[in-house]
Amino acid sequence: MKYLDKILLFFLVIIIFGSCSTKTVKKVVSLDNITAGRPYSPAIEVGNTLYLSGQIAVDPATGEMIESGIEDQTDQVLKNIKAIVEKAGYSMSDVVKCNVMLSDIEFYGQMNSIYKTYFPEEPPARKAFAVKDLPMGALVEIDAIAIK
Amino acid sequence: MKRIIHTKNAPAAVGPYSQAVEIKGTLYISGQVPIDPSTGEIVGDNVSEQTEQVLRNIGAILEEAGYSYRDVVKSTCFLTDMANFTEMNEVYAGFYTNEQPARAAFAVKGLPLGAMIEIETIAVK
Repeated sequence: MKYLDKILLFFLVIIIFGSCSTKTVKKVVSLDNITAGRPYSPAIEVGNTLYLSGQIAVDPATGEMIESGIEDQTDQVLKNIKAIVEKAGYSMSDVVKCNVMLSDIEFYGQMNSIYKTYFPEEPPARKAFAVKDLPMGALVEIDAIAIK
Repeated sequence: MKRIIHTKNAPAAVGPYSQAVEIKGTLYISGQVPIDPSTGEIVGDNVSEQTEQVLRNIGAILEEAGYSYRDVVKSTCFLTDMANFTEMNEVYAGFYTNEQPARAAFAVKGLPLGAMIEIETIAVK
């Protein structure tokens, strides 16, 4: 290799490693059986922040929606969130923000009664509202942001 | 510290908001509806065409801010009808091919200017 080529290679290596160290790395957090065929990741981590996709009450063991009412659905949604949060190396106490979408605002009280058991102290900031409709006819969908 | 993003290649805001705001390496893009920036009109008779225009508008804002689709970490998709979910997904998947952003999607009662879809976006780099 010519001397000039070596110099160029040296600078190329410096540039590549330099850009790697400053670039925030985007990391996909995936679970085995939660997103089949849908164009999103269960969660994305960048730096120390974790963005979770909206979760509905699909039991990951069966791939089926829990059909037995808002309380059981809220419980399954938060189980799914907890599984993703923990898979990423975070804990539920790292969750800073949730958005709760309900198919009927009448579910607000029952949803809260389950929700509070997952966030017993320093609960995250939150907004909650009723929408027209949720994927797969779900009664509740929750997305979240966690930071550690 | 806060940087307001504005480009003619995406529709002008239709209310009192910025197209996007960047702060500390995070870009918050306002919900985009399928307005053609050259005419200011909603385009597309179906959700495929509308989703395509929305994602092009998002692309123009990302580019203006110095970001790309690969930097997107979270999308929120608002539909007017859950029946359009699959059609929206097909177009959406063409724009986000790998390391797909986290996402929430649901149907709402109505969207600005009678749009069938709106997408809100967060990008980080």
